[in-house]
Amino acid sequence: MGLRVKIKSIWEESFMKSAALRWLGATLGLFVSTNVALADRSPEVWHYFAAGSELAAINGLMEYSNKIHADTPVIGRAIPGNVVELRRQLQTAFLGGNPPAVYQSAMGYELKTFVDGGRLRPIDDVWAAAKGEEIFPKGVQRVVKVGGKLWGIPVDISIINNIFYNKAIFEKYGIEPPRDWAQLVAACKKLRDNGIEPLGDASGPFWSLYNFYAPLLASAGKDGYYAIAQGKVSFKGPEFRKALETYRDTLVVNYAKNWSGKTWTQTADDVINGHTGMFMMGVWVSAYFKEHGWQPGKDFDFFPAPGTDNSVLIQMDVFAEPAGPDKTVATARNFMTAAASVEGQVAFNVPKGALAPNLKVDPSIYDYTGQRTLQQLKNAETSDSVLPNLFFLLPTKLGTELGVQIEKFAIDPSAGTEESVMETLEALRLELAEQNAFVKW
Amino acid sequence: MAVIFLAPLVLAGMTSLKSPQAIVRVLSFPTEIYFQNYIIAFERMGRSFLNSIAITTVSVICSIAVGASAAYPLAYARGRGGPFVYFFLLTGMLVPFQIVQIPLFVLIRSIGLYDTIPGMWLVHTAYAVPFCTFFLRNFFASVPRSMFEAALIDGCGVVRYFFRLLIPASVSGIAALAIIQSRSIWNDLLFAMTLTSSENARPVTVVISGFASSLQVEYGALMAGTLVSVIPVMLSYLLFQKAFVRGLLGSSGR
Amino acid sequence: MKRLGYHRTTASFCLFLALPVALFVTFYIYPIISTLCLSLYDWDGISPKGTFIGLRNYFTLFGQARFYHALLNNLQWLFFLIFIPTALGLALAAMLDRGMRGESFFRVVFFLPFTIPAVAVAAIWRWMYEPTHGLVTSFLEVIGLASWAQNWLGDPKIVNYALMGAMLWWTTGFAFLVFFAGLRNLPIECIEAARLEGANAWQIFWRVSFPLLWPSTIVVLGMASIDAMRLFDIVWATTSGGPAYASEVLATQMYDVAFGRLEMGRASAISVCLFVISGAFIMPYIRYLSNQVQENAS
Repeated sequence: MGLRVKIKSIWEESFMKSAALRWLGATLGLFVSTNVALADRSPEVWHYFAAGSELAAINGLMEYSNKIHADTPVIGRAIPGNVVELRRQLQTAFLGGNPPAVYQSAMGYELKTFVDGGRLRPIDDVWAAAKGEEIFPKGVQRVVKVGGKLWGIPVDISIINNIFYNKAIFEKYGIEPPRDWAQLVAACKKLRDNGIEPLGDASGPFWSLYNFYAPLLASAGKDGYYAIAQGKVSFKGPEFRKALETYRDTLVVNYAKNWSGKTWTQTADDVINGHTGMFMMGVWVSAYFKEHGWQPGKDFDFFPAPGTDNSVLIQMDVFAEPAGPDKTVATARNFMTAAASVEGQVAFNVPKGALAPNLKVDPSIYDYTGQRTLQQLKNAETSDSVLPNLFFLLPTKLGTELGVQIEKFAIDPSAGTEESVMETLEALRLELAEQNAFVKW
Repeated sequence: MAVIFLAPLVLAGMTSLKSPQAIVRVLSFPTEIYFQNYIIAFERMGRSFLNSIAITTVSVICSIAVGASAAYPLAYARGRGGPFVYFFLLTGMLVPFQIVQIPLFVLIRSIGLYDTIPGMWLVHTAYAVPFCTFFLRNFFASVPRSMFEAALIDGCGVVRYFFRLLIPASVSGIAALAIIQSRSIWNDLLFAMTLTSSENARPVTVVISGFASSLQVEYGALMAGTLVSVIPVMLSYLLFQKAFVRGLLGSSGR
Repeated sequence: MKRLGYHRTTASFCLFLALPVALFVTFYIYPIISTLCLSLYDWDGISPKGTFIGLRNYFTLFGQARFYHALLNNLQWLFFLIFIPTALGLALAAMLDRGMRGESFFRVVFFLPFTIPAVAVAAIWRWMYEPTHGLVTSFLEVIGLASWAQNWLGDPKIVNYALMGAMLWWTTGFAFLVFFAGLRNLPIECIEAARLEGANAWQIFWRVSFPLLWPSTIVVLGMASIDAMRLFDIVWATTSGGPAYASEVLATQMYDVAFGRLEMGRASAISVCLFVISGAFIMPYIRYLSNQVQENAS
């Protein structure tokens, strides 16, 4: 009896195995026949616009580029994650000697790291052909130049210093968009008294930091902002301390309960559902609101954060070209030229809901949010106050640490935390200053 | 108890059927069935699904085979060599994978197997060696040594014993291992992201992560994709469960 | 005659070991040595070359509070993963082993979470733990324990425990599976004999079944301890080690230092430390468990 059971189980197992093997052989044959050799594939554009409207944007741009440069097509490779994961993939690509033709980079220090490693090709010729000096705002031009040469084509600008609000709630309680800190605090109080959380925030090293830029700018001014980027301002000094305290007294105390346990989309959901009144976030939140059924100008609107009058803080993506094999150079050049052109920028930014850095783009393509933010951008440009995201002006280590420390402070704005935040940042700043890591943008 | 386990899954299921507008209110029931998410998921996942199946089936078989062949001597060997090799292999499990990516990448590229399915087979089999060995060695060790010695005395060779008696006696353990390996290889993200770059070899996990990009997460499609990708692993679970036959070991002791 | 047989056995054994060991050496030893070398350099991962700085990475690391904090988190996870999912998996497997109604349904339900990839688990639990409207908070409100509701993933003091909850949901399926397979594999005579002697179910389980389950137990405990040390996926996908390093474990710290701060040398040092610490604690533990198996088998 036992023997029969044994034989049966051996049979079952070997049968299953052979069945699997046979089936596998068939699929393998299929794959081998459809496999394309690595060398024959089109040059790639690497990016992390992996989902939603971002993916639609990059696809739109690639379509346009492939249309007008039909002899040098590109295909895209979406890397899931964000800039950190892209760096990881690039690392292996560079070491393996087959980097992509073009990739999506952050601006400023991110470019510098790769330039210093000798990994990028300068694109002065593409820039000149596209008349970059004329079409891009000055603030933008600063952060694609390293060592006097140009390394990236700006592709989208997102303004990050606006505060979005739920219009229905504001109208219900008779609140006007605040214009300075005092009015903002008063508005928050009114919301609180009526049971609405005044201001949203979200977990992660970026969002609290972006909120912090407004008090920082108010305290240090435009020149101070750039000085901080150059590592000249002490993190234990009076300007930074004032910025932290303003941040605490106007924004942190008004943050929604349990904000640190939410992702930014969850906080945006709270605004849509009427639980939270305001949310200081980059302009992509407008695209999110729209996707979820809200109309800009009707259901929600926005105003610039106090302290940022006449300036805009921008987050930007650029395309950079790795110094790879020669055969991808022509493709890369063509793609980047297409990306800098008016049509290319339109093809990208309309789906994405961001602003085209190319100022020659016709404003009528933008929706309500786009038009107002474009106005903000143009105003700021007149006084050269287009300020790039500080995170990317600082050396990577310091930028990342700054984001974490500000979040830490926002969770617990006590005096003890304030001191420890300043200590940590200052220590890191001195260390980096010694290594000459800072850059004058 | 089951409710606690099911609740998050129900949530996932509901989300996969909601339109983006409805997802804003996470806990609500979908008022209309929104299949678009599944369509989006299928569109993006199509080929990678086949890749995953190809990668997983062969890798599971190979890794079990390799693990079994390592576990056999380590379960029965006498003397100091045995435990030494055993623990040597086990230390492999302590290696955090994220940082071996550079040497691994260099290695795979130099063999010319980058971005290929056979490359994935090789990598998954190799990296499964410690765990499969560990797992099977313990199952083998529970088969009484007396049986081994009796068989040897009866003239049954070492190799024959392995195939004729040991494996059938451990079907339960092998089935369990097959389920675990299927799940682990199917859901692997790290090797997939480092060693594949195109449709040729990209498995389904990479595509699913792609639904969660830096700024936006397409929750609906993410959940739809996840629920679909769960199916093959569950199938292997149900399939291999049939091997959990009670008392197989006992009866073979006769 | 016996000696000849012994040599033949050893030779056959070596043959069996050849391929696995070859694979292991290529894919494990080479990267480990490579990482070790890398930890002695200061390299940003992008430039072609780094600068040799000897052991300085290690000294910096040992002076950082962040390192010890992550290590402490790993130890907390170790303590958690060894006991809780194991016990739960065992309990569930034991309950289902009796052959009750709807058994197949429960088998599927308990294993299903284990099959979900980390990214989806993170997304699901981000909703579960949403502090004001998530399922967990809503549930507490419904049963009248609203005051127990916390800022699950945002409060540095409890984010680890929240993550452990999500992990419990995710990995209990593994323990369940292994114990279930083991229970099914038990020789039925021993259990029958015990029942005939008048032992009740509880005694049968603890005196007869459980000791015979050692192979399963060792696998579950061994994997639990190893997973606790190399924990990465769920933490990174859910909180990225946040807020402000609160939930960080060594593997996520390594990833952040390597690719978020572009300090490959220091990240390799973290990796080496992780490896050594795991080796120092886990290996003796597994050795101890293995010896138990030897004793029980004989």
